[in-house]
Amino acid sequence: MAISTAAYAQGRKGLCINEVMVQNDSSVVDDYGLHHGWIELYNSTHASMEISSVYLTNDSTKPTLYPVPLGDVNTEIPPLQHVIFWADGEPNKGTFHVSFKIKPGETIYIYDADQQTILDKVTIPTDLKANTTFARKADGKGGMNQNAWEVRDGGDKYITPSSNNIIVDTNTKVESFRILDKSGVVLTVMAMAIVFGALLVLCLCFYAISKIGSAISKANKMRSQGVEPKMVSKEDAPGHDSGEEIAAIVMALHEHLNAHDQENTILTINKVKKAYSPWSSKIYGLRELPRR
Amino acid sequence: MEQSLSEFMSGNLETFWAMTGFANATWQHFVMLAVGMFFLYLAIKKNFEPMLLVPIGFGILIGNIPFASGMEVGIYEEGTVLNILYNGVSAGWYPPLVFLGIGAMTDFTALIANPKLMLVGAAAQFGIFGAYMVALALGFAPDQAGAIAIIGGADGPTAIFVSSKLAPNLMGAIAVSAYSYMALVPVIQPPIMRLFTTKKERLIKMKPARAVSQNEKIIFPIVGLLLTCFVVPTALPLLGMLFFGNLLRECGVTTRLAKTASNALTDIVTILLGMTVGASTQASEFLTLETIGIFFLGFMAFIIASSSGVLFVKLFNLVLPKDKKLNPLIGNAGVSAVPMSARISNNLGLEYDPSNYLLMHAMGPNVAGVIGSATAAGVLLAFLG
Repeated sequence: MAISTAAYAQGRKGLCINEVMVQNDSSVVDDYGLHHGWIELYNSTHASMEISSVYLTNDSTKPTLYPVPLGDVNTEIPPLQHVIFWADGEPNKGTFHVSFKIKPGETIYIYDADQQTILDKVTIPTDLKANTTFARKADGKGGMNQNAWEVRDGGDKYITPSSNNIIVDTNTKVESFRILDKSGVVLTVMAMAIVFGALLVLCLCFYAISKIGSAISKANKMRSQGVEPKMVSKEDAPGHDSGEEIAAIVMALHEHLNAHDQENTILTINKVKKAYSPWSSKIYGLRELPRR
Repeated sequence: MEQSLSEFMSGNLETFWAMTGFANATWQHFVMLAVGMFFLYLAIKKNFEPMLLVPIGFGILIGNIPFASGMEVGIYEEGTVLNILYNGVSAGWYPPLVFLGIGAMTDFTALIANPKLMLVGAAAQFGIFGAYMVALALGFAPDQAGAIAIIGGADGPTAIFVSSKLAPNLMGAIAVSAYSYMALVPVIQPPIMRLFTTKKERLIKMKPARAVSQNEKIIFPIVGLLLTCFVVPTALPLLGMLFFGNLLRECGVTTRLAKTASNALTDIVTILLGMTVGASTQASEFLTLETIGIFFLGFMAFIIASSSGVLFVKLFNLVLPKDKKLNPLIGNAGVSAVPMSARISNNLGLEYDPSNYLLMHAMGPNVAGVIGSATAAGVLLAFLG
């Protein structure tokens, strides 16, 4: 239980209050057709979030005033989506009706399941008029900073229950490229610079690594010959053995030792029987020892 | 209501007939079936990338059997077997698995031994962005143009990954185009390589690569991941899996995992990926003017990519010391298409000098092209996604 609570606590940090209406005379109605104040919560993460067992309250001395009930499938908020709670003080009407009403000047809190961690809070302006909302300027952005909020009267600034505070009807990135980079030259230059830059850095990095590696191997080689690397000048230091040199040495040894002139081989044709399953064989379950 | 036996039988047979492929067939279905069979012919008889074209070709046949919608068999009908298998394409999780296998198969030694070859791999990515500009000029929207242009990366999984995010409706045509041109690399690249190089340049002999230590091979995937993904985190699924697969191969303590990733896993994913991509090319989605545009742009992308790789090597040679000059015939390998394009470099080099083996040198830009195209994909997703 403790583990699951901790997991919730971590995952629910992206839950926030997104828009609040205190006095609702003519705006959106609840599932009973009635006007009430409402609190919009927003899942600012890119994963679905189960919010049952968090607490909503307008009184910090009573953090557990309204626990979001367990067992309702609708308490799982999809990524970057919203859910509305009706502040009508009638929790018996359903999951999304909280046990308190809200007034201007009050602070609304979301407490996590541990009843101590404040996930988000917002103080409603004292002069918030009827049918206006106090909303985040951008969905889920600004943390608990009151400056990230603004009053919306439904005119130029839309009231947006259960939808984004900033209405996006196009992909702004694509639109900006469509308008400002009609030929595609700007994107091409930027993208090629990034691709080149990334691979250039990787290239330089490996030049450095190969230099360091080469220096270390030379030093080791000298030590194995009983020479202290610091005592040898750069010109006298042994070079890197090329593959060709190594092949020549191996060939010379082969000629000198006259090794492997005749392979002692016996050709057999035997049926390989594997009655066991690889899944149950112990040898397949063992890790190979690291090569030294 | 009384119904005679003959009426009952004819009613049932009529219903059955309405469900058959013959009753639902259109001329477009037959065109697509012919395309599928042509792919199978290329793969089986001409040996053009059979590992890809056989699953894709047969997938086209599967996807274009006519049937009445609602029978819960189609690839676009939710919850069907084909639809579940297609999820790996539409949600984009097959391509990273293929990249895991590619990483486990790829030997980056040639690149580590001569890191400047990475720049050749980067230069060849101009094919992607050159094709992007051409696509915009043809009237495609920026996100569609980006999805089509990635064909120039000559990397099927990357093309599928990017198009599934930027232009899912064009994904079938993009994937088929990408794989078709990859199969046609031996036909497309040699004339370009000959066109942009002189005989003297083709005879340049490159110094043998230095030996690369095991430690360098182990460090490469770790440093490669950190450097490239810090720059373009959007390429993380591709580059993360590529470098992870390579570490499995090189670290020496996970031989079993590397073997599975490079053999069984890659084979399974390739079968599913190829078959479902083929099946997704249904006539209604595929036989459009857009598809012709995509095939034309794919062709352009391959030409631009191959040309820019070769031309970059020539340009690079101007600043390189005389004894370290690169043979421009390895420039085409920067387009990825591992290892086919490196083999072409080698074959062409041998054609002009039977003792000039370019394969290992060409493998450098070739594998750099894989990293480069995945990075370019990340850049496109960051700008247009």
